[in-house]
Parts: sequence; structure tokens; C-alpha cells
Amino acid sequence: MTDVLLAERRPAEFADAPARVDRSRRHRRRRWAVLVGSIALVGVALGSLLFDATQANHRYDRARHSLRITRGTTVVVARDLAAARIDLHLVTEQVGTDSNALTQDTSQLEGARSALSAAQAHVFEQASLLNALHGCLAGVEQALNALAVGNQSKAADALKWVAAPCSTAVKASG
Amino acid sequence: MVVGGVVAVALLGAAIWYDADAHVRAGAEASTLRAAELHLATLRHDKAVTDYADAVTTTTRNNLQSSIGTTLNQLAGVEASLNNANAGASLEGLGITALHTCLGGVQDALFSIGAHDNPGAAKAISAVSGPCASLDGGANAGLVYPFDFPDPDVTLFGQTYYAYATNSVAGNIQIISSSDLTHWTSVGNALPSLPGWAKPNETWAPSVARVNGTYLMYYTADFAPSGTQCVSVAAASGPQGPFIDNSVLPLECQQSLGGSIDPSVFIGADGTPYLDWKSGGPGSSKIWSQQLNAAGTAFAPGTNPTQLLAPDQAWEGGTVEAPDLVLANGRYLLFFSGNDWNSANYAVGVARCAGPSGPCTDASPSPILSSGTETSGPGGESVFVDTGGKFWIAFHAWVPGAVGFPNSRDLYLRPLDLSGPLPSVAAPGSG
Repeated sequence: MTDVLLAERRPAEFADAPARVDRSRRHRRRRWAVLVGSIALVGVALGSLLFDATQANHRYDRARHSLRITRGTTVVVARDLAAARIDLHLVTEQVGTDSNALTQDTSQLEGARSALSAAQAHVFEQASLLNALHGCLAGVEQALNALAVGNQSKAADALKWVAAPCSTAVKASG
Repeated sequence: MVVGGVVAVALLGAAIWYDADAHVRAGAEASTLRAAELHLATLRHDKAVTDYADAVTTTTRNNLQSSIGTTLNQLAGVEASLNNANAGASLEGLGITALHTCLGGVQDALFSIGAHDNPGAAKAISAVSGPCASLDGGANAGLVYPFDFPDPDVTLFGQTYYAYATNSVAGNIQIISSSDLTHWTSVGNALPSLPGWAKPNETWAPSVARVNGTYLMYYTADFAPSGTQCVSVAAASGPQGPFIDNSVLPLECQQSLGGSIDPSVFIGADGTPYLDWKSGGPGSSKIWSQQLNAAGTAFAPGTNPTQLLAPDQAWEGGTVEAPDLVLANGRYLLFFSGNDWNSANYAVGVARCAGPSGPCTDASPSPILSSGTETSGPGGESVFVDTGGKFWIAFHAWVPGAVGFPNSRDLYLRPLDLSGPLPSVAAPGSG
């Protein structure tokens, strides 16, 4: 820069000195302007780049933070999912076991109901036979008592009244 | 300038590289984040699906378990009912077996009676006494002989108890015996033949005692010429008979009072025998006493009947009969039956007496033994002492629901507590 300024001060050029001075000045100004503009442009570019990089870094940080949270959440959810799957598996197995048990219990219940029906029918039949036997016995005993004191008519009446239950008892008894 | 330019370019290049790198890293991280979020979303979806499936399956399982619980409850109920039904069937089976056995014995007895084989008939029913007793359901009331055995008189001779009763299956006067008061077997007919004046099939209410080494049986028979009920006496060398009555006339008839019935011999503390009995019918009945001679075969000379009791209580329904005088703890207690013998109103009362010949007054306005859940119309009682010196009361009763002739009046025995001011009939087994 100093060399440029010294060159501009040569005597041969003193005649056109004012114009040259103006041109030089303008030229210098232009160069300074270019220099300043370039510097400013580079600064702006650098600033923009740095700003953009900073923004990108911020995005990176946020993404990384979110990723860390997401991964943590993923671990938790995966653990919960695993637990839920285990639970589901257990419950499914229980459903299978319970289904089998219910089938067996239902079958057993049906069997018991059938047995109960048969037993109740048997009880009913036996109750009928008991009633018939009781009635028959009462009449035969009355006949015995009456005949024992020579009362043949009462004895005959007693036997006649219990003919039906005695007949039933005989049939039921085989 | 150049240096500055180079520096600027370098700075710019570095800045650009840095910026690009930042973008690349940010982009990669964002991409990774998206992938992670997508994975998380997938996991969450899977979790939601699994939770839903779990909830549905759990509901299904709970429903199943509820159904199992319900089914098991029903099963328990059905099995309980089944057990009850089986137990009922088993009891019925026992009852049917008992009924068959009892009915078989009674039928055999009926055939024997039809063939005039009273001893055979008595043996036939005696053999099925146990099964028949289980059917009458009187175990808690003291039932010991489940056949017609009216107006029982139970006495201990030696180590054996003898029970005598009104004519029925075994013959004119029935005898059964026991060594434990629980198991009774038929001995037969105590009075195989009747005196000439007595009408057949009308012999009732015996009372037996050992007097001067002879066993005497006082009983009621229908005096054929007049149709009056009279008292007579028969003798035997042993308590099982046969008792022989060679009388040409009855011992007592009281025809003007409507006849004499229900004799009961009482041996006083000094050994003097007395006879108590009842005269008349419903509305005019009275209970009498008269001293017997030393042999017990006739009334003591110079004695007359004295009235012990007449009906005066509402429950007696105008009738007192079946006397049995007891000396216990220095007190004379007259046990008697009241009301209609052929009904459930029949019952047993007690009176206090000043002595064997009275006078007597009712000890209570109510009977000491009357119809209950297991017996109807108890009466015809006699009081006796067992081998241990304890008092018992023997009586007949109908089975509830089978009251009135020709139903059976079964034999019952119950301990008798004479320690209190009023005798009380205890529960079986408490003696």
C-alpha cells in the first residue's frame, strides 16, 4: 500500500495531478470499498454460516436429547410390552387351563345331575314302596289283632282296605 | 489483500464445512430420532394391542373362573343333594328291608292265627320284634314290644321280667319275658283254658303276684250268662304259667255297678294282699280296693270293697280305670288311667292314698303321662321295680295316626321318678 502511495507522487505526473488525484482518490475509495465490502461480505457469510451451524447444532442437540428420551421411553415401553406379553401368555395359558377345567366341571356337573335324577327317582320309587308296605303292614296287623280276638269281620275289612297297597308292594318288590 | 483473501476463503471453507457437518449430524440425529420414534410408536402400538388382548383374555379368564366357581357351587349343591338322596335311599332301603321282614312276620302270624295256632303266631311276631319296633318310631318313647299288648302288667320274678297282657295274638293272656327290659320274647299264652262261665276272646288286664309261694293271676273275663265283665283269679306254679282257673263263678262282678274290670293285686308292707279294680263304664266308673285272704284266692272274710277313686278331673272324661297301687318311700300312690281307652285322649294319672283301702285324692289335676309325638292314648299302666330297685312304669299306647281297635297298642317302658312330690315319667335311658 505504501508503494502505491509513493508511486502516485512522481513529478511527471504532476500536470495532471488534480485529475489523477481525483481518479486515484476515487480508485482508492473504490478499492477500500471493495475491501470493506469483501470483508463485510465474508463476515456476513461467516456469520451466516456460523449461525446456521449453530442452528444445526441446536437441532442436533434437541434431536439427540429427544432421541435419548425416546430411547429411554422405548426401553420402558419395550419392558412393559415384554411384561404384557408374558402376562398375556400366562393369562392365555390360564384361559386354556380354565377352559379345560370348566369342561371337566361341566361334564362332572352333568354326571352328578344325572346321578341325582336317578337317585331321586329311586328315592321316589322306594318312597312309594314304603308307603305301600306301611299301608299293607298296618292292615295286616289290624287283621291279625282282630282275628286274634275272634273278630273275623273286622279282620276281613282290614285286609280288604289294604288290598291295593299290598298288591302294589308285592308288585314293586318283585 | 491476498493473505486476507486466503484467510477469508479458508474461514469460509471452514465455516461451510462446519455448517455442513452440523447439518449432516443434525440430519442424521433427526433421522435416528425419527426411526427411534417410529420404533417407539410401533412398540406402543404393540403394547396397546397386547394390553387390549390381555384385557380381553383376562376378561375371558375371569368369566371362565366365574363360570368354574358357579359350576363348582352347583356341583357341590348337586353332590350334597345326591348324598342326601343316597342317604335317604339308603334309609328307605333299611326301612323297606325292615318293612319286608316285619310284614313277613305279621303275615306268618296272621296265617297261624287263621289256623288257630296262637303259639305259632306269637313266635312269628316275636321273631320280628326288632324290625317292627324300628318302624313304629317309638324308641324315644320307650317302645319295647311293637305288637298288640294292651293293659301290660310287668313284674320281676327272680332275674327275669315277665309282662302279661290282654288277649291278643298269643292267646287269652299274653306273656313275654326279658332279662334286660329291652329285648322281649314271646312265652305264649298264660291262660290256655278259661273257666266254664267265661266267654272266649274276652279276657283282659291281668295282674300277677306271688302269694304264699303260688303265682296268682287276676284277670277280667266276660261272664257269659249275663255278659257282665268280672274279675277272676288263676294260679300257676311258675310265672310263665300255665295259669289254671278252676272257679265256678268269678271273684267279683258288681253287676249292679256295670261290672268289674282291670284287677290289680297289691301286696302291703306286712305281706297282706289287696285287690284293686274298677267298676262300671263311662260316666259311672269307680276304683275299688278290698283285702284278699292270705292265699290271695278270695276276699278276706268280713271285708267289703272300699272306693278309692271316682272321676273328678276334666282330663279323665268320666272314666278312671286300670288301677295300680304302689308303696314307695312310705307313700301310697295310686296310678290309674282315665278317659276313653279307644282314643288318643286316654292318659295316666296318679292319686295319693292314705292306705291300701284309701281314701285317695288326685295328686294333680293333670295326667302324668298323655299323648305325645311318638305315642297316642297311653294307659293300662303298671308300676314295677327293676333288679336295681328303680321304679319303672309299663304302659300301652297307640302309634300316632293309628289310634283305635284293631290297631295295635304297643308295649312301652319308661323310668319312673318317685322322689318328687308328684311322680314323673322319665325319658327312656335315664333310668
